[in-house]
Amino acid sequence: MTPFINVRKITIIKKTKTPRPNPSAVGTENGAAPAVPIMNQTENPKIRLENINYYYGKGTPFEVKALDAVSLDIHGGKLTGIIGHTGSGKSTLVQLLNGLARAGEGRVLLDGVDIWADPKEIGRVRYRVGLVMQYPEYQLFEETVYADIAYGPRNMGLPEEEIQARVHEAAAFAGVDAALMEKSPFDLSGGQKRRVAIAGIMAMRPEVLVLDEPAAGLDPQGRHTIFQGIRDYNRKTGCTVLIVSHSMEDMAQYCDDVVVMAHSRVLMAGDRDHIFARADELETVGLDIPQITKLCLLLREGGMPMPAGLYTVEAAEDSLMKLFSEAKKNRRGGERS
Amino acid sequence: MKGFAFGQYYPANSVLHRMDPRAKVICAVAYIVASFLCKNTFSFVLLFVSAFALILISRIPLKVVLRSVRALIFIMAFTAVLNIFWIVDTAEGAVPLVEFWIIKIYTKGLYHAAFILVRILAMVIGTGLFLTYTTTPIALTDALESLLRPLAKIKVPVHAFAMMMTIALRFIPTIMEETEKIMSAQKARGADFTTGSLAKRAKALIPIIIPLFASAFRRADELATAMECRCYHGGEGRTKLRILRYHARDFLGMLWIILFIAAIVTLNILGARFGWLYTM
Ligand SMILES: Nc1ncnc2c1ncn2[C@@H]1O[C@H](COP(=O)(O)OP(=O)(O)OP(=O)(O)O)[C@@H](O)[C@H]1O
Ligand SMILES: [Mg+2]
Repeated sequence: MTPFINVRKITIIKKTKTPRPNPSAVGTENGAAPAVPIMNQTENPKIRLENINYYYGKGTPFEVKALDAVSLDIHGGKLTGIIGHTGSGKSTLVQLLNGLARAGEGRVLLDGVDIWADPKEIGRVRYRVGLVMQYPEYQLFEETVYADIAYGPRNMGLPEEEIQARVHEAAAFAGVDAALMEKSPFDLSGGQKRRVAIAGIMAMRPEVLVLDEPAAGLDPQGRHTIFQGIRDYNRKTGCTVLIVSHSMEDMAQYCDDVVVMAHSRVLMAGDRDHIFARADELETVGLDIPQITKLCLLLREGGMPMPAGLYTVEAAEDSLMKLFSEAKKNRRGGERS
Repeated sequence: MKGFAFGQYYPANSVLHRMDPRAKVICAVAYIVASFLCKNTFSFVLLFVSAFALILISRIPLKVVLRSVRALIFIMAFTAVLNIFWIVDTAEGAVPLVEFWIIKIYTKGLYHAAFILVRILAMVIGTGLFLTYTTTPIALTDALESLLRPLAKIKVPVHAFAMMMTIALRFIPTIMEETEKIMSAQKARGADFTTGSLAKRAKALIPIIIPLFASAFRRADELATAMECRCYHGGEGRTKLRILRYHARDFLGMLWIILFIAAIVTLNILGARFGWLYTM
């Protein structure tokens, strides 16, 4: 039926047909040698993705390869940001982590154990890896905010006192006002609903918290409080946290590690200093780098000896001031001699 | 669920696809009438042949058409079996083919079963080819609105019904996608829809149904506002982007159907006159 054809789908099909550079495809065509190097590799990763290929609508004319030979480590206890342009496969990737989607090829290891080792136990994995989906405000259903946040813990079969403690703790992290607890979730503003939904997952105290675009569509103040709350959660509980985002600016500010996705692949992954040192590459794949990084790149091009990969205004200010005082010193030295 | 092709519309380049949807609705109704007019072996053979001729004309692969027949196989088998056992040949000298306990099977019963099968098959294939396979749901709604317009004179809100149908059709894929998303979100919070007693499973659906309704109402609200912003005020004085026009092929199509019905009636009459084979 023509009026309903998914335009997004069609453009993507075209995209997959055009050949594009394959930075890390090693022997994946015949499926024989899974020799893809693991990005961001570490000793004991919290989560390891091994050579994942994921298709939507496999075997139909609408087949889309949403993930292409993805091998990636997520470090335990860190706050990792996943960034990429629209349709690069970020949401697909995070849905694999808690078993909402299952890849036809490749494995997802949580603490070294395949999460699909026993498919009947996948429910347990969902308690360990909490996923806040994109636009989570539409999943609220209970009569009160309190009951909605308590839905997850209640499904886990926890005692009532424990549930209560968790709900209040989670509400505090997510920035849900205590005054809202007895209100209907349908009477809240969009941003408040978002926070309630995030608290609903935090209350399950997952070892890994995954948030898909937690700040999409919020004002700068709202973005800041949400990210700050998530960072607090990460620092205070020591849980591993993954955030999917479009915004390099936010990633630069809050994340320890950054994973960059482009065209269904992981383009680069590593700690944020390393990633932002390659800011020029990020620009070539069409990602928006932080304004301040852009400025520093321009200054470098103009011949100023700025260090590469500055991503905070403070750091840029520091190095600029240093350059400035050095220049001053030099000039004074020149005058004296 | 996203791969699910909504409706059965199968794009192809055939006369049936190009025909005016109103003509197709009329043809479909006439075709159903024709299938009920069939009375004897010859007219049923003609009906059977016509169904396959339609498939050829529509240029839709046989496999695709048979897929929709497959859904009805149970009903077809059931009616056929019922006929085989039910029909008693009261004609003089009729001997049951099989006689066993209280079961008597007559040749007439077998014929009747075959007739019924052909009739259902032709109806499914005929309406499918005239309507669902070759006509988009939107075109179909347009056609119904246009055909039912005379009812507006007696205060039937034809335009409102057509608009409702269009909107409903438009939102089916959206709502399916949304259902899937909400299910995933609740699963991530530990919802379990597959185990436990029936009551428990029914209760597990609440976290899906409430957000779904909430978003359906929200969507309806937004759509209503958007329509009002564009000055929608019902059907009065409203013009169409795509105006339906009859062409020669539409009249030809309807002419063919009339000839077809005439042929069936002729075969019926001849059959009755000369006592050809079995009749219904
Ligand atoms: N349910 C689905 N059915 C078919 N294709 C899908 C489905 N969901 C996503 N895709 C396709 O898979 C690819 C990756 O989609 P995904 O949702 O993972 O992108 P994303 O990086 O999260 O994008 P965004 O930033 O817009 O959320 C896209 O090409 C998309 O069209
Ligand atoms: Mg996404």
